[in-house]
Amino acid sequence: MNLLERAEEVRLQLKNDLAQVGSDLPSVENFRIKFLGKKGIIPALFSEFATLSNDAKRQFGKTLNELKNEAEHAVNSLQERLNKQETDSEFFDFTLPGKTPSLGHLHPVTQTLNRITDIFREIGFQIEYGPEVETDYHNFQALNIPENHPARDMQDTFYIDDSIVLRTHTSPIQVRTMLKSKPPIRILAPGRVYRNEAINARSYCLFHQIEGLYVDEHVTFAELKGTIEYFAKRFFGKNVIIRFRPSFFPFTEPSAEVDVSCYLCGAKGCRVCKHTGWLEIMGCGMVDPAVFAEVGIDPEKYTGYAFGMGADRIALQKYGIDDIRLFFDGDVRFLKQF
Amino acid sequence: MIINTKWLEKYTEVPFSPAELEERLTSLGLESAVRKSPVDGLKGVVVAEVLDVQHHPNADRLSVCRVNIGAAELSIVCGAPNVAKGQKVPLALLGTTLPNGMTLKPTKIRGVCSEGMICAEDELGISDDHSGIMTLDNDAPVGMELSEYLERNGKTLDVDLTPNRPDCASHIGIAREVTLLTGKDLRIPAAPIEESDEPVGNYIDVEIENPVGCPRYAARVIRGVKIAPSPVWLAKALESIGLRSINNVVDAANFVLMETGHPLHTFDYRNVHGKKIVVRSAAEGEIVTTLDGSERKLTRNVLLICDAERPVAVAGIMGLANSEIMPETTDVLIESAYFDPGTIRKGSKYLGLQTDASYRFERGADPEGVIYALNRLTSLIVEVAGGKVCRGIIDRYPTPIIRSEISVRLKRIFGLLDIRIDPVWIRELFQKLGAQIVAADPEKIVLISPSFRPDLTREVDYIEEVVRVYGMSNIPSARRLQIQPIVDVHTRHDLVEKLRTTVCSYGYDEVFNNSLVCERWTTFGVHPAQPVKLKNPLSQDMAYLRNSLIPGMIAAAKRNINRKNDDLKLFEIGYIQESDPKSETLAKETQKLAVLISGELEEKNWAHSSTKSDIFVLKGVIEDLIARFGFSSAIFVSENNEYFRHLIGVVVDEKEFGYVGEIDPGYLKNDWDIETPIFVMELNVSVLTETMRPAVKYHELPVYPSIERDVSIWVPEKLSVGETTETIRKHGGEYLREVRFYDLYTGKSVDKLKKSFTFNLVFQANDRTLKDEEVDKAMAAIHDALTNELNAKLR
Repeated sequence: MNLLERAEEVRLQLKNDLAQVGSDLPSVENFRIKFLGKKGIIPALFSEFATLSNDAKRQFGKTLNELKNEAEHAVNSLQERLNKQETDSEFFDFTLPGKTPSLGHLHPVTQTLNRITDIFREIGFQIEYGPEVETDYHNFQALNIPENHPARDMQDTFYIDDSIVLRTHTSPIQVRTMLKSKPPIRILAPGRVYRNEAINARSYCLFHQIEGLYVDEHVTFAELKGTIEYFAKRFFGKNVIIRFRPSFFPFTEPSAEVDVSCYLCGAKGCRVCKHTGWLEIMGCGMVDPAVFAEVGIDPEKYTGYAFGMGADRIALQKYGIDDIRLFFDGDVRFLKQF
Repeated sequence: MIINTKWLEKYTEVPFSPAELEERLTSLGLESAVRKSPVDGLKGVVVAEVLDVQHHPNADRLSVCRVNIGAAELSIVCGAPNVAKGQKVPLALLGTTLPNGMTLKPTKIRGVCSEGMICAEDELGISDDHSGIMTLDNDAPVGMELSEYLERNGKTLDVDLTPNRPDCASHIGIAREVTLLTGKDLRIPAAPIEESDEPVGNYIDVEIENPVGCPRYAARVIRGVKIAPSPVWLAKALESIGLRSINNVVDAANFVLMETGHPLHTFDYRNVHGKKIVVRSAAEGEIVTTLDGSERKLTRNVLLICDAERPVAVAGIMGLANSEIMPETTDVLIESAYFDPGTIRKGSKYLGLQTDASYRFERGADPEGVIYALNRLTSLIVEVAGGKVCRGIIDRYPTPIIRSEISVRLKRIFGLLDIRIDPVWIRELFQKLGAQIVAADPEKIVLISPSFRPDLTREVDYIEEVVRVYGMSNIPSARRLQIQPIVDVHTRHDLVEKLRTTVCSYGYDEVFNNSLVCERWTTFGVHPAQPVKLKNPLSQDMAYLRNSLIPGMIAAAKRNINRKNDDLKLFEIGYIQESDPKSETLAKETQKLAVLISGELEEKNWAHSSTKSDIFVLKGVIEDLIARFGFSSAIFVSENNEYFRHLIGVVVDEKEFGYVGEIDPGYLKNDWDIETPIFVMELNVSVLTETMRPAVKYHELPVYPSIERDVSIWVPEKLSVGETTETIRKHGGEYLREVRFYDLYTGKSVDKLKKSFTFNLVFQANDRTLKDEEVDKAMAAIHDALTNELNAKLR
């Protein structure tokens, strides 16, 4: 048998032994000594190799080195396996609490507003802003709410003086936008609004409204319904039912209130929907021609719709919060829940 | 408006259960709710007749009653003082659970068995009354469940009216809406009057001095009425909608008000002096005493009804005490008028007095309904109080109100709704609404609105009528939406939201504070601006718009600290206002970001120890924000202010950006009773959002390695890190890339130098690997400068 054949035989033996070697230190050590020890099989082959002629050395050198590497690799992995066994037997307490990243929390009303804004921006609404301190003209008169009109009772108002108010709704932004730009107009107007109402669990002196307006040729009530349904299904879930009820707002006609089937109880009736199965979510309607006349848009040529909702109220419903004052209290135990 | 369903049925057939009626009216835009009664669905309380009442043998205050419930006779022990033979009473049978939670079990009371309980109203949850047992009408059928019996009197419906529908503030108005649903007839009660020979003109004359405020005034006189309690039906009708019965004449007027929606007033004719009614504006400062006993000072905006000598009523709002119906009244003057809505509204607002009458007049009564209402009341008073009606009516209506023709184009209806509706259905609807059709062709319907619908003045008002009666749910939703592509970018909104999420990502919780604050808070701050003051605040604590976000933040911190939430990282983005006489709204509004920290910065965690809040944490926030929003750097300026222990002003792009500071501990203690340090910053958001920043530019990554060196020096106490950094930069040569301050040591001193700075310096060349010698040379220059210029000493 020449050296080459013997080397192949050793390789097979190595493979065989490796498959059977025990996973304790003495067995691994015996395996190492057998193949790589001073008097082991592979050094023996190398001793023989040293006696060969230079020509033969060239012939067998590579094979022998490969064999040696293979044996060393086998021994290393056996030893690693042993080390790992040792580590594994140490106690590792996986129940230690995770090191929580300390991120902050956005206010629940911000989160609600952002979600509403995102949904409408996807269908081309553009954000507009307006001042919180408003003129009576923009807040009321231009919106078809003249002085001494009972519709003013719908919104208890804070006055700065006889002609300046804290805006009671975001609708003056409609007026400002229509005065400065020409149709088509497609805007979304979020903002803080004020009502002169006693503070209690159900009402606060301010809240956050978000309002939409679309003015163009051929804007229809059907388009309004389709848009609101799109929003409601995106926001509340695709299975909710949407109901339009006739209502009254001085700046829209026809006007409607929109209810969604209570998404919290599946319309079975719960505390939040006051056992009616419905949640009131917004007011809407077709822009009243009187408003168009006021801002110089031809009501024969253009029509439009507007809608508005209170983000605070929707957040109260969504999270099942029964006291609106929590939104303005700043208690971190509350804020960190959202 | 409160509606009784039984009462409603006088005027039209109502083929709906109360629950259906609620739903149907709501679908017409009349948001309704059936009032729940605690006895709804209650079983086991029946109508019983008291057959006999005996003294309880063992107790003075108790009686033993024999009652008949139809199927049986029972023996009941009763403690009520008012129980009497022959009464019909509600009897709770054994085993019944009452609305107050009590379950009846067989009991012996002082030795006598009681087979049930005769109930007081409080036990049934009907009222708080426990003064005696509840008694029922004599015609109550024995043995009937009480819930069923009470149902016979009708259910109460609360209708939440929108301000455009004064016509529905009446039973007839609601009945008319019901006919829109049913197609049945509306039955308006007849008002038969037998007049005497005496002409009304002998008794009264009417003069309208202010025809703008009072376009129409009509009157009748009835002589010889007898004031008495109302008949049962009348008293019960009023009680069913929550009105108190007073006497037959006053009740009749209230009944007709609730029936027709037209407010009427009755005067004691004795106290209308000089046979004359004058309608005029009040004189400035004129004082009257209204029916409710209040003395009221008037202005010219208030309209008065006067006799020949003095005021007798505040027109359309409330009568005066001097002419009200008294028990001894015999002759009655009835007023039925139409007052101008705006005039009544102004008066009502001025007086702070809203009544059933003013509510209707300010929304618009029916100018053509004046005579019917007058006749209806006259007829009813004669029916319930007797008397003779003087012949004729005084009717002053100098300029009749003209209702113009309205043209409603079918194309416009179909176009706005995006649906075609049968034109015949539409025309019939308009007729049912009470409109007078003047002409109709395939294009349009020309009509005149009914006088009781002040809200129907334009084409679009009729489109709304079509929508609400046709049913909003029957109008299909558009399945494709028109979408308008936007070319304008939402720069401001997006930047504000980026700011919000960035600060949140630093670990801060967002708060919303009240914008309305007390006067004291408006003096806080660096340069407090003139605040905006409310004319009609809820309270003095909320009389101003905030001119800084910080006091609200401190207040939020205070509430948290009181609740032992000591570790706070809060922020708010909101507007502040300041007075600005040049602005259209007299106010200037600025969006601000406020951040507050207090206590420990990191949540307590097993892996690391905590870090205390300090001012440099907030300074770091500002530095990072500036970088993220594309500004190269900020200038920080030391400032002094009484509210702050330390205060640093921030300037960016030569604009005042805001400040960061530690609140003065003395101020915190005295004004807020807070003992823990609080650090705040307030920045002007518009500096970030209104300046267009250049798009981010990429810097090529270095190819050649850098060399780092540390330098530690002892420095004089008053030397700042900023100045030292500047010096290092100045002398560090062209390859010095970064100067990082990373240690401040104040443990011991060397040569009177009490503190030590350590910097880490990074050197790098863009085109080759730097040699150590080059860096050594730069370091030597730095060392020289530090030693010679700053009197520092190398460690």
